Amino acid sequence: MIEVKNLTKRYGENIALNNISFTVGENTIIGFLGPNGAGKSTTMNIITGYLSASSGSVKVGGFDTLDQPNEAKRMIGYLPELPPLYMDMTVKEYLNFVYELKKVTLPREKHLREICALVKILDVSRRLIGNLSKGYRQRVGLAQALVGNPPVLILDEPTVGLDPKQIIEVRNLIKGLGKNHTVILSSHILPEIQAVADRILVVNRGSLVADGTPFELEHSMSAEHHLSVRMEGAAEEVEKALRGMRFVQGVQNFGEKEPGVWEYEISVAEGEDLRRALFSLASKRNWPVLSMTSSDLSLEDVFLRLTGSAYLQDNLTKGGDAQ
Amino acid sequence: MNAIAKKELKSYFLSPIGYVFVGVVLLLFGYYFYQVIRIGSSSYVPEVYGTMFIWSMMFLPILTMRSFSDEMKNHTDQGLLTAPVGVGAIVFGKFLAAFLVFAITMGLSLIPVVIISFFSSSLGWGTVFGTVLGSLLYGAAMVSIGVFISSLTQSQIVAAIATFGVSILLLVINQMSGLVTNTFFSNLLSWISFDTRYQPFTKGIFNLSSIVFFLSVVAVFVFLTARKLESKRWG
Repeated sequence: MIEVKNLTKRYGENIALNNISFTVGENTIIGFLGPNGAGKSTTMNIITGYLSASSGSVKVGGFDTLDQPNEAKRMIGYLPELPPLYMDMTVKEYLNFVYELKKVTLPREKHLREICALVKILDVSRRLIGNLSKGYRQRVGLAQALVGNPPVLILDEPTVGLDPKQIIEVRNLIKGLGKNHTVILSSHILPEIQAVADRILVVNRGSLVADGTPFELEHSMSAEHHLSVRMEGAAEEVEKALRGMRFVQGVQNFGEKEPGVWEYEISVAEGEDLRRALFSLASKRNWPVLSMTSSDLSLEDVFLRLTGSAYLQDNLTKGGDAQ
Repeated sequence: MNAIAKKELKSYFLSPIGYVFVGVVLLLFGYYFYQVIRIGSSSYVPEVYGTMFIWSMMFLPILTMRSFSDEMKNHTDQGLLTAPVGVGAIVFGKFLAAFLVFAITMGLSLIPVVIISFFSSSLGWGTVFGTVLGSLLYGAAMVSIGVFISSLTQSQIVAAIATFGVSILLLVINQMSGLVTNTFFSNLLSWISFDTRYQPFTKGIFNLSSIVFFLSVVAVFVFLTARKLESKRWG
């Protein structure tokens, strides 16, 4: 559906995008992830035809965005970072304008009503956009992208400015849309991408640094697997028993965390799952297991490794609740 | 194009700008028509339009100042430029809306003329229509220049003042052509002058080359504005 080939964008000396290529099939949700200023919006602006690339090409639904711009644009519904809303229009007037601007041929009343119902703005359809809250404006922006029912939706940070309840609503909405639309969704918030995307593209400083499903990304980066366990029981005895297990490569004692409870980190041979064996061992010896977590690299860790410290600085305060 | 012109026209009359423009220009028309009635000769009607040329040129920048400046400032141009519409159509829609506000004003200015015609048998409608046609022509040209200037800046004020500067220049260019000794430049200046091209209309002279001139100005500036918008993509 979308074919991006060797896309490069230079602003004078600065390289905003460096040779990015990817393709997106039909009915998938692609998460575009990267720290602020990584090139997410630039890529989206080029796909939608708002900006031109310095070199490379973009095809949407088989139409080259340079050679057949109007055909390509007709395939796309775009919600830019700042929704293009006219503050002096009512929601209804605005959507009617967009309907005419995009030269949509679907039955007008019905189509616009369906969209308003979908993004839940029916109750404000007669109000001035300038008087709406940020959350509602964002939804009007989303409605605008949906007008004409384009097969491709490009959403630049669609949940910015929404409250937690609205964020969940919009995520579910996007998930639903992904069943019969190709969606590209950008965010610098990892859990958001993780929640909706079928595939994740990570960009950093203008380059594509990773491309895969959330599962693939989590596993590709972590060669070793660890199991972190808290067990009640005499430490020495437990440690010895753990070491004696199959596939265990090493055990580290992190000390007594609660009275009588020790925490251990167990290194496991690659590709082996120790959890069940550990459970039967513990129950046989009557050592209550109080917690057990498999410490694969989380997506957050993967992301941090890929993008370096830039993300950390940006998101240290807000990104901590990833898992 | 249709959608943009319609939306623009609406927004002129959703904000005070449209009413203020139409109102103030008609007020001035009223003043001059009052003079015509006082003098009691309908032959002065075309001269009202001749005088209104200066005022109209002064007020036209108000109509065009927000055309693209506002869109760029509020990032709404992103919506227009990513819609399946060519830039030419976008620019022409903007131009058309501002021009229509001016045309509405000129249309309304004919009401006093109709009333005067009831009391005067000697009113030359041919001349009046020629004059109004001329007004629409210079109006269209000025609007296209204003729309172009508004595409150069995000600030409405800067756009208004710059357009105002251009219209003043076009008003004084006549006198400048008298001051220049070089015949070529003198001719060039009076060739550009909107006033020299417009005034014959008020005397009932229908000049084809002037019509072509004004329409060419429109075409050139609509084209330049479209190129300006296009160039933004390559920034």
